[in-house]
Amino acid sequence: MTEAATPDVKSTRFRAVDGALIAMMILPILALIVLKVLFTPAADGVQIAGAMIYAEFEAPVMPVIITESQINTWAVMISILGLCLYLTHGLTAKAVCRRQLIAEWIVEKCQGLVNSNMGDYFSAWAPFIAAIMALSAFSSLICLFGLFSPTGDVNVTFGWALLVFFLIMYYKFRGGLWNYFIGLFKPIPVFAPMNLIGEFSTPISMAFRHYGNVLSGAVISALIGSALSGLSKSLLGWLPGFLGDIPFLRIGLPAVLSIYFDVFSGVMQAFIFAMLTMLNVSGAVPWEEWAARREKRKKLKEKLSKSAA
Amino acid sequence: MQNLSVISVNIWNVLISLVNLLILTWIVKKFLFKPVMKIINTRREAIDADYAQAKAAREQAEENRLNYEAAMSAARQTSDQIIAEATRTAEYRSNEIVAAARDKATDIRRQAEADAELERKKAEDDMKHEIADVSARLTGKLLEREINEEDHRALIDSFLNDLD
Repeated sequence: MTEAATPDVKSTRFRAVDGALIAMMILPILALIVLKVLFTPAADGVQIAGAMIYAEFEAPVMPVIITESQINTWAVMISILGLCLYLTHGLTAKAVCRRQLIAEWIVEKCQGLVNSNMGDYFSAWAPFIAAIMALSAFSSLICLFGLFSPTGDVNVTFGWALLVFFLIMYYKFRGGLWNYFIGLFKPIPVFAPMNLIGEFSTPISMAFRHYGNVLSGAVISALIGSALSGLSKSLLGWLPGFLGDIPFLRIGLPAVLSIYFDVFSGVMQAFIFAMLTMLNVSGAVPWEEWAARREKRKKLKEKLSKSAA
Repeated sequence: MQNLSVISVNIWNVLISLVNLLILTWIVKKFLFKPVMKIINTRREAIDADYAQAKAAREQAEENRLNYEAAMSAARQTSDQIIAEATRTAEYRSNEIVAAARDKATDIRRQAEADAELERKKAEDDMKHEIADVSARLTGKLLEREINEEDHRALIDSFLNDLD
């Protein structure tokens, strides 16, 4: 397939595929809402708890617990897959669909961000950074539907931070294990414990920063919500019949606060997480040691091939 | 349904989320970046091809212009040469004609001179004749005797010839 033929944008088939892809984006979120409605127990007062547990399996070390975070993450992933497929559906060199411009904008922005922050050597990491941003932002944003944000679960953000930590370590070890070990004792050997803690604090701080921001937003939202219903009950409780039970004061203010705590904070944290990933990973490469090591290896290889000859 | 406590670390959940991110990276790469990059590259190649074509066309035009100019200057040179040639030929021819005319004139003059000379000689001869005749008749009359006219003429001729 050298060049895809220009798709007939108005054909029934094209539209049917579009519809299926849009359904792929929306249905997982709808399913989550249904699931949430079905399984949430009726509760009074402020309830601040972690993710709801859906299933539990026996496993070595710890039981595998399938909670809301996992289910929601998977749903978000399916939605993102649908979004990707939708945006790239009907791509042509002449850009027939408007969505192609969006897709190209996203790709070029991510590529530009990665190239400018990590350098051209890391340009292949653009999809990874895009995935981090998308997963983090959409995971945070599904709380707009009243769903549990997977990013409000420390396990989720810690998993991502752990992956970033592995990447950092992978690039740090490029300079050689011994060089890395020596580096821990710089500038003076007394710093060794602090340096060691510093290594491990990176993923932990990243995980907790993200998790804490999202969870605190959710907690504040819940607190304000319950406070406003309490206030509503005491001020407007005299209204006749069921009108007295409706928390009128909860209309409006929580939505305004949600723009900051859910939308702004969620997107911001996604960006910060991606930014920290880029800076930490690209800053981890010991270029000089790595070059010296490559040089050494090359010489060794030449020597070996000479002695073999 | 139970809830997880707000902070609780479960290794499996951490691993699941790690793998989720890897899978999503793969998804984003395979279904968003690759197709879009392919399209962008296709477009860039098309644009590059267009540019190359335009450049080739411009070069061709430039070459044509140079060729045309060269041909024009060559033609001008040739025409100059032809004119010079023609001028030279005409000059030569005119010289030739003038020379021929002069020759002819000289010839005519010489002819005329010769004719005049001949005429003069003839007249001279005639006059000699006349004189001879007259003197013969005169002598005959004087002598009153018939002498041989032929002898007489010869005598006078020799006399006249002695005069010359």
